[in-house]
Amino acid sequence: MFEMDVAWRHIVSNRRGTAFTLISVAIAVGVIIMSLGLTEGTKQQIIENTVEKNPHLIISPKEGENYIYLYRSLSGLAAAYPGVKAVSPRLVGQGAARFRERVEGVEFIGMRPDQEDLLMAVQDDMIYGSFSDLQYSRHSAVLGAALAGNLGVRPGGEFYLSQKNRSVKMKVAGLVSKGTSRESTLVYLPLETAQSLSGAGDVVSEIGVKLSDYSAAPEMAADLNLNTRYKVTSWQDFNREIARFVGTQSRINDIFYALIFLISGFVIANTTVMIVTRRTREIGILMAMGARRRSILKIFLIESLLLSPPAGVMGALIGFVFAQIVALYPLDVSTGSTSGVTRLMLVINPEFFIYAILFALGLNVISGIYPAYVAARLDPVQAIGSEMG
Amino acid sequence: MAEDIIVIRDLMKIYRGGVDVVALDNINLNIEAGEFLAIVGPSGSGKSTLLNMIGLLDTPSSGTILLKGTDVTKVTPNERARIRNKELGFVFQYHHLIPEFTALENVMMPMLIAGTRKEEASGRAAELLDQVGLSDRVNNKPNQLSGGQNQRVAVARALVNRPSMVIGDELTGNLDTKSSNRIYELLRDLNRKMNQTFILVTHDMHMAEKTDRIIRIVDGKVVCEMNRDGETFVSNDACSVGEDG
Repeated sequence: MFEMDVAWRHIVSNRRGTAFTLISVAIAVGVIIMSLGLTEGTKQQIIENTVEKNPHLIISPKEGENYIYLYRSLSGLAAAYPGVKAVSPRLVGQGAARFRERVEGVEFIGMRPDQEDLLMAVQDDMIYGSFSDLQYSRHSAVLGAALAGNLGVRPGGEFYLSQKNRSVKMKVAGLVSKGTSRESTLVYLPLETAQSLSGAGDVVSEIGVKLSDYSAAPEMAADLNLNTRYKVTSWQDFNREIARFVGTQSRINDIFYALIFLISGFVIANTTVMIVTRRTREIGILMAMGARRRSILKIFLIESLLLSPPAGVMGALIGFVFAQIVALYPLDVSTGSTSGVTRLMLVINPEFFIYAILFALGLNVISGIYPAYVAARLDPVQAIGSEMG
Repeated sequence: MAEDIIVIRDLMKIYRGGVDVVALDNINLNIEAGEFLAIVGPSGSGKSTLLNMIGLLDTPSSGTILLKGTDVTKVTPNERARIRNKELGFVFQYHHLIPEFTALENVMMPMLIAGTRKEEASGRAAELLDQVGLSDRVNNKPNQLSGGQNQRVAVARALVNRPSMVIGDELTGNLDTKSSNRIYELLRDLNRKMNQTFILVTHDMHMAEKTDRIIRIVDGKVVCEMNRDGETFVSNDACSVGEDG
């Protein structure tokens, strides 16, 4: 196919133009990969710090009731749903912790340690002791590290936990640090102890559910809402801001990618139009020799296509190398506690490189269409030059 | 008597714009197979426009051009391209070889455009380069050849598909006298050996007199015609030699 020969020869002979096109596309691709990596990293941080550090679903009492009475069967019902990783019934209450003369307001969570650990991965955040110790003693508690610091109580020490007119003496079995403001008020204690303290009986105030796919939460919430009379909310409901942020980020990135595509596309199209102008006479000669307009179109489109894979690979390499450099110097960014983003994080997934190659291909081909069309529409007489006029 | 390879009847070309320009005004012309013909005339006379019409690079405003019996003014652009490839060869003032390709590859190009296999095209191209005296330059690129050598490569390229005729437009316009003479001698030789039809536009009467027939065009009209009679030319009308160019 002579078109391939001509296109290939154009590429290897015009080193400057070829290099310019390659670099333009490679930079665009590299920026896209970095942007994809940043978006993915930010999203993962948000999910890790927010979505995954909280239940995906919370089942609350029926309307008009303060507690869930049949929590065992309800937990079993929730656990039977496909994709459910953990179910933890909890009795959550407000109280006060006292150690010597110091008193701090607390939020206590009465739970079963084995179930709560599956739900919240508490053991991963333990900085002293083992979370499972709460199974063996009804008067053991795990405190948030900041709370323990405020109270001045150490592991092994004893403090009083009170709610209204009830009080219970507890021993500090361990300390947990979640890196959030909650740890200045957090107390974990066995479910039975919390039930005894609250005086409400064998009840819970909520059931937390964790899914293997957090995005399935709204669907499951809707189904449970329909089939039971309990109020079920998903993380998207009680973290509307985060859900909106994640969704908005995707849309903003789409606009960003489209802009990169447009800008790079115009630069490449402009370069190719200049190349066509330089080769006008040659195009006229090829037409005089009998090359059809379709062949001229093919030549320039093939040139664009041939440049795509190396440009995509170069861009992927640029993106990868810069990602590694950025990863060496983690930048702390304070964006507030609500989003959970504390560091600039890059996450490069293997499919990003496939996207990069496809992007380069699309960019080169679409940018090359107009110049190729211009070339094919040239009048051979005018193209060959004034000596034919 | 050889058959007519080109028959032109009532050919008109008018460039429409603010002012209409009549580039060709009712041209009637027959060209036989094997002719070695020159078209002369002053600048702007329409000789190159006529060549564009014969070469199917442009279409007339009216009239007909029969190429081996086929009215080529009515064919589709793709068919025109096919005819240009198969039936016509072009040599321009500037050789217009593709700079990235060698002499051999440039000569092969019309055959490759026609879809011929590379091996066959290469063999034919080498044979033609040998005929034009460049068998030792097959792998040289245009920038490694002289002007005269490049023009000889262009002649070989024009002949590669065994065209019905070769069209040349001021093909020695960029060459020195010695190279110009050499080119014309080459064409003369090819005309005799292969009975190849050549239609050459030139403003140089010295070169035109090397052909067998001279058509003179002024203001888009054929004003006179001269045919070789031995070492001289016989005109069928009053032609002023020396007014051209």
